[in-house]
This record gives sequence, structure tokens and C-alpha cells, in this order.
Amino acid sequence: MLTRFPASRRALRHCSLTLSLLAGVSLAAHADDRVIDTAYGKVTVSGTPGHVVALDEQAVDTVLAVGAKPAGALATRGAEGVSNYLKDRAEGVPIVGTSREINLEAVLAAQPDLILAGARLDKTMYDKLSQIAPTIVPTSSLAQWKDSVMTYATAMNKADEAQQALQQIDTRIAALKPKMPAGATVSVVRWMPQGALVMSSHLIVGETLQALGLKTTALSDSLVKKPHSDILSLENLSQVDGDWMFLATLNEKGKEALDNARQQPAFQRLKAAQSNHVVAVDGQVWSSGSGILAANRLLDDLEQNLAN
Amino acid sequence: MPVTSIVSARRQRSLLTFCSAWLALLAVTVVASLLMGAGQVSPARALAVLTGNQDHDARFVVYELRGQRTLLAIIVGMALGAAGTLLQSATRNPLAEPGLLGVSAGASFAVVLAISLGASAATVHFSVAIIGAMVGCLLVLLVTQVRYVGDDPVRLVLAGAAFSAMLGAITTLMLLFDQRSADEIRFWVIGTLAGRSSVALWWSPPGILLALALMTLLVRPLAALALGEHIATGLGHHPRLIRLLTLLIVAVLVGIATAVAGPIAFIGLIVPFVARAQTGSDIRRTLWLSLLIGPTLLLLADVLSRLAVKPYELPIGVITAMIGAPVLVAVVRSRRLPTL
Repeated sequence: MLTRFPASRRALRHCSLTLSLLAGVSLAAHADDRVIDTAYGKVTVSGTPGHVVALDEQAVDTVLAVGAKPAGALATRGAEGVSNYLKDRAEGVPIVGTSREINLEAVLAAQPDLILAGARLDKTMYDKLSQIAPTIVPTSSLAQWKDSVMTYATAMNKADEAQQALQQIDTRIAALKPKMPAGATVSVVRWMPQGALVMSSHLIVGETLQALGLKTTALSDSLVKKPHSDILSLENLSQVDGDWMFLATLNEKGKEALDNARQQPAFQRLKAAQSNHVVAVDGQVWSSGSGILAANRLLDDLEQNLAN
Repeated sequence: MPVTSIVSARRQRSLLTFCSAWLALLAVTVVASLLMGAGQVSPARALAVLTGNQDHDARFVVYELRGQRTLLAIIVGMALGAAGTLLQSATRNPLAEPGLLGVSAGASFAVVLAISLGASAATVHFSVAIIGAMVGCLLVLLVTQVRYVGDDPVRLVLAGAAFSAMLGAITTLMLLFDQRSADEIRFWVIGTLAGRSSVALWWSPPGILLALALMTLLVRPLAALALGEHIATGLGHHPRLIRLLTLLIVAVLVGIATAVAGPIAFIGLIVPFVARAQTGSDIRRTLWLSLLIGPTLLLLADVLSRLAVKPYELPIGVITAMIGAPVLVAVVRSRRLPTL
């Protein structure tokens, strides 16, 4: 049969080569299968996914931190693209929705072989996304950011890279710790015209501060379920007073937010304000950021302002 | 006519009784507002400050924070109470309320627009809010000219709600596109008396007092208008002009109130409702009473907003809505909507 159609022989050889190649890949993949515990049960991922869609701020951070580029990302709250601190690395990454609404068609168009979603993804959306590609929803809550970073990285087959980056952060913290004003109380707030929003100390920021030997306020320690408080009464502003105050601003005009705060007599009475220890910082990192790159940005800010 | 003079004398006396009763209530809420707050300064400590104690922290809280808020609440409450009464009288609709009809929404929308175009919240001038309120008032006026909608109190409120919802949607859209000012804008969407700059205390009282002074000129014509357009015209008034001037004053009152405290709904609905329940629907009585009921209610709502979720605070708009929504339902459900 083959001799009768010599021309097709080469085609067949080609075909079998491809087949054996495919078999080889699938064998290799098989050895590489990773079963990942997610909020919606165990998900198996094989190989090293090349098209990863990141539907969460921390997921985008992680993908970029391990040296990959997402095939799609969500716009950060209110903005048109990813957070500013990720912008350089994420140049050209298509936006497939906002934190409020994922655009399923855009996700599909990105042809993902892995989807990394946020911990708060609901079941209906999960069911739809997991039809497109294996979808990872980390189990961890607010507090364990490193766990969810590792979950994402493991799914991407980049666990080693992530582990290394996390270790580097620990090394950096250890090196920075002696330079910090030990035991100083640091509060992190977002300023609203009628008062302050207190950021929970159980997020990456509070954890980093504590690792550096700094103290957080009792009020921020008490926020275990929410990322930040409601608006604090101006009468209670002293409860977030400390040696230093970091004012997270969601706009680029950080100085203006600080000026607005300074106009408020209750703010002027703060110890931190009187000793000029109030620093305006990027809220996309300080109040909503989380991940390896965010942690490094936090350390940059802390080193710049507190290290002696 | 001896009979009517007796009746009016009796009403005069009852108005005086009601006025003094509300004045006393207002005094009580003012004291409560100075004594109670979300902070650690207890009523006893605050009382000590008021009687001359040199407790610096408590002094600051009582005079700078609570004192300033109390003054603002009085100003804003007078403005909203009077605006509600005037608007209901001018549209002859017992449900007309600046907050429900989109006048406040117009004012706060204008402010949000100004902020997102680059003005900072601290520098937004109250003229922006007044212009927004005027546009809102103009729309109310146009809608009342439409047959069926203008004649039917409930339809007018529906039209106002639709208008407010539309402005709210655009505001949300601007929030989505403009993260930059999200924190500042949020204030204008909810409304509060906390943390207002002391500058607001400088320019708002003169503006509102001026508007209230002008308002007194409109009381008689509005009372005549309540008798019907023909009778009012027969008495030498110009109904259209009266309505236009009234809405202008409403716009100034609501504009300033919104610039000071953000949109606060329902006060303009509850106040005339309560006033009418006590002295009847004659604007010559309800208006004066509403100038006392407005601040009392707003202060009460503000004190509640401070005590509800210590050490945080609820936006006052939430409290007024919680008090106001049942009143709205009650008014709509009552068999006989009072015709004004």
C-alpha cells in the first residue's frame, strides 16, 4: 500500500514523527503532573503553561515575578490597566476585564492553558472559567499571601523561582531589620475627607512591618476579616497615631491627599503629623497590592523612609 | 369676620406653642450633639469642658469637632427643611423633596464632575453645587409641566428617582474611569457632616441666611398659589414667576447644603410632613416650623450616625434614609394625599 503511493510515504513518516513527539511530550507532562489544592477542589495541571491568564492582582504580580508574562490580566480597581507598580513589566498584556467583571470572551480570546483567579471568585464564574482552562482559586485567606503565591507558582511550574524570590525577600528583611527604628509604631491608613480608613495589619503590609521589628496599631490588629476598616471617626484619629504614618493614596497626587489631610485640625494634632513622619505612598501597593513584587516595593519604601 | 379671626388667633397660638416646643427640642439635640460622639470623650468629660474645665483633648473634641458639626447641622438642616417645604408648595406635591427629585443629585453630580475635571475637593466652590442644583430644579420644573407627571405626586417622585438614578449611574461611571479622585468623590456620593473644612462655616451661613431672607418675600404669594392659579392671579400674583423664584431659592439652599455636607435625602420630605401634621398645610405656618424641625432632625440623625458603629461612623445619609423611607411609604399609603 505504501509502495503504491510513494508520495504519501514521506507524509506518513512525518505524521508518525509528530505522533511520537506528541507522545513524548505527553509522557513528560505526565511525569510533570501537579495536583493543586484549590478552593474548589483538586485541580491537575501538567507541563509548563505558556498562556496564563491572571484574574487577580496577586496572580499578575506572581506571574510577572517568576519571569513570565500573562496572556491576559484584569484591570486594577478603577483604572484601565494593571497597577502602576506592575506597568513596566506588564507592557502589552491584554486586559480581560475589571475586578468587578471578568470578560469571558476576552479570556477565551487569550487562549489560556491556565487561569489564575482570586480567592473570592464565585462558583458560577469558576464553572465557566474551568471550561476554558484549568482554573486555580487559592484556598488561603487574606493573611497567608505567601501560600497563594506558591499555589499560583506551582500551577505555573515555577515553584522554584517563586520559592527563591520569597527567600530573597526574607533575606532582604533580615538585612533591613537592624536599620529600622526598632519598636516604632507604624500605622497605614487611607485618607478620606471625613476621616481615615485603617488598613488591617493581617495583610502583606502589616506582616512586613512586624517582620521588620516594627509595631502596628491595636486597631489595625483588630481587623481580621476585612482588608480595611470603615471610616474612623475623627474623634478617634488618635487611635491610629504612632511614630510613623503611611498614607496610602489611590491617586498619583499623593502629595495633594497629604495636603488635604493636613488641613484637618484633628490630623494636625497627631504625633506623626507634628514630627513630620507622615509619608504618602502608592495605595496600589500599600493598600491593595500583594505578592512578591509588591513586597519588594514595600521594602523599597520602608528602606527609603525609615532606614537610618 | 369674627369667626375667622378667632380661628386664626387660635392657630397663631398653636403655632407659637409648636415653635417653642421644637425650639426646646432643638436645644436638647444641640446639647446631645456636643456631649455624645464616637470617641473616648464621654458625656461627663464633655460636660466638664462646657463648664470651663481645662481638658485640652476633650476641649478640642467638643469645640472643634462636635461644635463645628453641630453648627453645620443647624445650617444644613434649616436649608433642607425650608427647601423641602418650598418645593412641595411650589409643585403642590406633598412628596416633592430635593433629595428625591434629583436636585441634590444634580448638585453632587456637578461637584463630582468638577473634581474629576481637576478641581480638588477642598477648593470646590459652592457655586458649582448651586449650578448643579439649579439644573436639577429646572428639570423638576420641566417635569411638572408635563401632563400626568406633574399632576400625579407619585409619578413626579418616580420621574425624580429616574433622574437621580441616571445621575448616580454617570457618577459611578466617572468613579470607574477616574480612580484618582475616588476617595474624594465618595464623600459627595454619600453625604456627611464629619471633617468638613472650617472654611465651609465661613461662607455657608451668609448664603443660606440670604436665601432664607429672600424666601420670606415668597411666603404670601405661595400661600395665595395654594388657593389655585386663578385665585392667585386674581389676587395680583404671577404663578409662573412665583414658581420660578421659589425653585431658584430652593436651588441655592440645596446647592449650599450639598456643597457643605454632600447629598442628604429625606430631610426635605420628613420636615414638611411633620410640620403639616401639626399646623395644617398653610405655608405661612409650616415654613417657620420647618426651620426648627430641620436642624433638630438632622442633629438627631448625626448623633445616631456617630453612636451606631463606634469607633467608626455611619454616613448620615444612611440614617436619614432609614428614618425617611418609612415616612415616604406612610405618605404614599395614606388614603388622602393632602393636596397643596
